[in-house]
Amino acid sequence: MQAHIDLNRCSGHARCAAADEEVFQLDDVGYALRAEFDVPSGAEQAARLAAASCPERAITLTD
Amino acid sequence: MQQQAVEQCPVHTYSPHEPRPLGEWNAFFDRLREEAPVVRNTFAGGYFVLTRYEDILAAYQDPDTYSSEAVTVMDPDPAHRWIPHMLGGEEHRQWRRNLGPAFSPRAVSGLDDRVRQRAGELIDSFADRGSCDVMTDFAFRFPTSIFLELMGLPSGELERFMDWEADILHSRGPDPATIARQRTAALTAVGDYVSSVIRERRADPGEDLVSQALQFRFEGRTATDEELRSYCVFMFMAGLDTVAAQLGYILHHLATHPEDRRRIVDEPELLPVAVEEFLRAYSFVIPARKVKRDVEVAGCPIPAGSMVQLPLAMATRDAAAFEDAGQVRIDRTPNNHIAFGAGPHRCLGAHLARHELQIALTEWHRRIPEYRLAEGAVTRETGRSSGPDTVPVVWDRQ
Repeated sequence: MQAHIDLNRCSGHARCAAADEEVFQLDDVGYALRAEFDVPSGAEQAARLAAASCPERAITLTD
Repeated sequence: MQQQAVEQCPVHTYSPHEPRPLGEWNAFFDRLREEAPVVRNTFAGGYFVLTRYEDILAAYQDPDTYSSEAVTVMDPDPAHRWIPHMLGGEEHRQWRRNLGPAFSPRAVSGLDDRVRQRAGELIDSFADRGSCDVMTDFAFRFPTSIFLELMGLPSGELERFMDWEADILHSRGPDPATIARQRTAALTAVGDYVSSVIRERRADPGEDLVSQALQFRFEGRTATDEELRSYCVFMFMAGLDTVAAQLGYILHHLATHPEDRRRIVDEPELLPVAVEEFLRAYSFVIPARKVKRDVEVAGCPIPAGSMVQLPLAMATRDAAAFEDAGQVRIDRTPNNHIAFGAGPHRCLGAHLARHELQIALTEWHRRIPEYRLAEGAVTRETGRSSGPDTVPVVWDRQ
C-alpha cells in the first residue's frame, strides 16, 4: 500500500499522526513530512483510519 | 441587477445576539441547511451564510477568494489586523511557519504536566462543595490560567485577566455604545499590559511564548513591537473563550446524558475519540470571510466585497458528510470534522485545545465522576460563537 499526501492541502491537523505517528511523520511545524511513501505491512488499517480522519482530505491510498 | 442576483437565495432576518435555550440555534442552523446551500441574513450590513460541508470546506481551502482581512460580519472594513488570523498570502505563511513549532502536537505534549496541575488545582477548589457553575468556577478560569503559564506570567494575575476577558467577550446590557466602549477599553488595557511584557522580555528573555516570538524571522527581519502586541492580544482572545465554551458544551452534554458520562468514566481510553465527537457535534465557532471576487456558490451569486459566514456547525452537522450528524456518538471513528476550521488558517491552537479539553475532562471525572444539571437550570447561548452562559451542576459529596 502506498500513501500520497497533498502537502499543499495539509494544514497541520495532525489527525493522521494521531492514527499512527510512525507511519505519518510530522515535521517540526507539525505538518506532514513526506508526500509519498510505502505503508509498512501491518499498518494498513491505521493508514485507512488516517486517510479517513483527514479534515482536508489530503491523503489518498493506493494498493 | 445586483439586487436581482442577491435574491437568488432565501433571505432571512435574525439577530445572532439573541439568547436562546441551548440547542435551539443549532436546530435553526440545521433548518437553514435544509432550506438552501446559501442563505442571506439582512441583519447588520447583511451577509451570506454557507450551509453545507462541501462548500464550507472549499471556501476555507481558498483563502485568496475567501479572505480573512475581515473576519466578523459586523465589521467588513476593520481598523485592526489580528496576527496571524487576519493576514494573508506569504506574510501569513511566514508567521505560521514561525509559530508552528510552539503549537505542534509534540510541543503541546510537553505542556501536559503543567496543564494537568492547573486543572487539578481549579477543580480541587470546589470539588467538596457539591455544586458549581461550570462556566464561572472552572471553564473561564482554566484556559486563562494556561495562557498566563504560556506567557510566563504569575498566576496571581488571573483575576485581572478574568476582568478584562469579561469586558471583552461578555459585556452585556441594553446599550451597544457602552458595551463597545467597555470592550475597547479592556482591549487597550490588555494591549498595554502585553506591550510592557514585550519590553521586559526584550531585556530579559525566558522560555515563554513572548520570548520565543522575539526570535521569529521574516525574510531576515524580526517582528516589530506592534506586530508582537497584536499577536499577544490575539492569542489572549482566541484561546480563552473557545476552550471555555467547548468545555461548557461538553460538561453540559455529560451532565444531561448519564450513559455517555458513565462510559467515559468506565473507559477513560475512549476520551480522545469522545472529545473529537464533542468538537464535531458542538462546533460553535462562526467565522466569517470577505469575498474578494464575484463567486457563485451552488447557483447563488455572491458579489465581491460581500461578507460570508462559514459556520463550523453547518459543516460538521451536515448529514451529507456525517452519518447521524445531529447525534452525539462518542465512539465515532473516523471523524474528519472541521471544528478547528480548515485550510491555511486552521486554528493554530487546535492541539493545545485538544490537550486542554482531554486533561480537564480526565481531572474532572477523577474527582467528580457523577454529577447532574441543577434542577430548573436553563442554559442559553447566542448565535455568535458565545458558548453556554451558565452550566450549574450538582453532585453528591463524598
